Amino acid sequence: MKKVFKKSALAIASLGLAASVLAACNGDSEEVGNAEEFKGKITIWDGPRWPDKDDNKFHWLESKIKEYEEAHEGVEVELVQVPWAEMGDKLGVAIAGKSWPDIAPVDISGSAVSIDHIEQGVVEPLDAFIDKDEKKDFYENALDAYTYDDKLYGIPNSITLHSMLLNLDLFEEAGVTPPENGKWTYDEFLEAAKKLTFDRDGDGKTDVYGFSTYVMPGYYESWPFFYKNGGSPLNEDMTEFTFDSPEAVQAIQDLADLKLTEKVAPETHGGVDVGGTFQAWANEEQRTVAMQPWATWAIGAAQGAYPTNFAVAEYPTGDSETASTIGGVGGWIMFHQEEVNKKAAVADFMKFISTAEEQHHMAQNYGIFPARISASEMDPFKDNPEMTRAMEMSDQVVMLPRHPEWKKIDEAIQSQLQLVFNGEKTAEEAMADAKKVVDELLK
Amino acid sequence: MTQIPMGAVPKKETEKLKVLKKPNNNIFLQMKKNYSAYLFLLPKLILFTLFIAVPVVWAFVLSFQEYKVFGSEFAGFDNYIKVFESEAFRIALKNTLLFTVVTVPFGVISALVIASLIYALGKVSQSLFRSAFYLPTVTSMVIIAMVWRWMYNYEFGLFNYVLGWFGIEQINWLGQSTSALWALIIMQCLIPFGVGIIMYLASMGSISHSLYEAARIDGASSFKQWLHITIPLLKPTTLYLVLLSTIGSFQVFTQIIMMTGGGPGSATETLVHLIYKTGFRDFEFGLAAAQSVVLFVIILIFSIIQFRVLRHDE
Repeated sequence: MKKVFKKSALAIASLGLAASVLAACNGDSEEVGNAEEFKGKITIWDGPRWPDKDDNKFHWLESKIKEYEEAHEGVEVELVQVPWAEMGDKLGVAIAGKSWPDIAPVDISGSAVSIDHIEQGVVEPLDAFIDKDEKKDFYENALDAYTYDDKLYGIPNSITLHSMLLNLDLFEEAGVTPPENGKWTYDEFLEAAKKLTFDRDGDGKTDVYGFSTYVMPGYYESWPFFYKNGGSPLNEDMTEFTFDSPEAVQAIQDLADLKLTEKVAPETHGGVDVGGTFQAWANEEQRTVAMQPWATWAIGAAQGAYPTNFAVAEYPTGDSETASTIGGVGGWIMFHQEEVNKKAAVADFMKFISTAEEQHHMAQNYGIFPARISASEMDPFKDNPEMTRAMEMSDQVVMLPRHPEWKKIDEAIQSQLQLVFNGEKTAEEAMADAKKVVDELLK
Repeated sequence: MTQIPMGAVPKKETEKLKVLKKPNNNIFLQMKKNYSAYLFLLPKLILFTLFIAVPVVWAFVLSFQEYKVFGSEFAGFDNYIKVFESEAFRIALKNTLLFTVVTVPFGVISALVIASLIYALGKVSQSLFRSAFYLPTVTSMVIIAMVWRWMYNYEFGLFNYVLGWFGIEQINWLGQSTSALWALIIMQCLIPFGVGIIMYLASMGSISHSLYEAARIDGASSFKQWLHITIPLLKPTTLYLVLLSTIGSFQVFTQIIMMTGGGPGSATETLVHLIYKTGFRDFEFGLAAAQSVVLFVIILIFSIIQFRVLRHDE
């Protein structure tokens, strides 16, 4: 089976190579080079993924590198292992010093690489290496996430989204029935949260809370709640701040009030302790919160390192009557190249690790959804009902605004949200203050 | 030119002037004469130039540019104007000043008191306490911050547990604007200033015992001896420690990024954390460089004031 995968992967990579040459023949003005003529080193950065039996979380890429090097004499691929938490900072320093790797696993949303970098030529466009037919195999939103000014600046390899994770043991203990098919309204969610908040040992103190999450720049677990009445942070053409609309303000206040007035969320609700929040839901010794929203990696964690009896549910619906979730797209980008042949070789390797087989393999092991349609059709989650349920939520995905100043806008909003959640400001006051900063950034 | 050896008594006014002049002002000749000393200094000098002097000069140059990966553009004083117009910079400066004004005096005074208490002990006890108080200095601030984050934890933290004994309600130490910065200040104050303790102990050892003997004969109590002999004679050490800890406090960063990220809101935003965000989150290296230069000037002004106030009078 492995040999079949290996051969097919190499065949697809070769097809990709041929396609890139064809693209050049078809009159594409950009010189694409010849990957076969390149001899030298390609550097790739990656973060830890799923472990093998020796707890090596880089084994997948290491094996792919070995395979590629064996098939391409004279090409060396160097893997630089970077913790995910440090990826953005380290790339920032590398970009500032023009010592970037050839390939990195980041998006172009601004977390590590921004639109500004694209405009400055730091990231290479890949259209010359991926033809139209090949693009058809990717989900449109996945390609959109790597497209700027009608050019493709990366190969998407995964899609993630956020969903509600429900601890079924606590639901049973409190006598609460989980939402049917994972669909519910905000009122039903609030009712469940109230019942799931209880004093287990009768000492007068609450031992289990219905819900909690955290609020900090760069994290969007709580944001789908803010969309429930039809609100969004910016208007469609990104010229106006709209989280101060009555719909958004009410939704923000509702989520903060889970702690402030309803008392169904702990004091830490809306704080910045990501690890502590997850432990409160997943750690067997704690389990003090019944419901939390998380990205899909948490499903894998709850099935592996933190075995939990849980179910996946949608975010509750509000006045808009449609459930929303925030999505993200992962993939590989190529940094600026001086040599055309190396550029072709780097693109060739990127495609080699982004085949349908590899995305299917990654989906099964890493808790992400494939960005390729053909990989999804291989049904990677046929034995994983929780991931299947989460995948069904793909059509609810709302992408964050792709504004060059998004990081600053995000911080202006999230720092004000923190003040709503700790009761220092109302949602209306906080969003009015956020508007002053964001409007300046949108000018 | 006739040279008079240093220390010789001049006979005439003209000869006095000759003594005050350096025997030879040729720097190259001096370097040749003391070449072995320069040779020993060279490795450190090279490292200093490469990793301190060049980046400092480069940061200054960068502060007048709009940074771009492929060719930055000259921006004049635009970055400095942005710094002084920035509300975020003003908040960060205010927080940093509060942090410094409280933690520096507390750190230095507590180091002096602890060193004085340790100095009176026997050799073995002195070594034990000296090591114990120096331990936090060799421990990573990341580890210390993680431990303190746990101590401030709302649900399981040590502080709220102790408050519970007295029937006081739990405090969301790091989650409220009113308490977050003070929580960081308390943390900084309670971490022993190891370097200060060691330096005070070393300086106390160099104070002549005859001064204390004379004071004892005059009937001065131990406290008066400490107040009128020890403290004045430790003034140069105090100056050094105040300068050192002021610079350190203005550059507070690890605690912020590990414990609060500058929040809630901007309650714990500090200058270096803001510079870090401007540079490595927003990629505005020119603006970050201008913020760094302003911070450098602020520290310089504080250092000059402290030096003038605390310098050892001859």
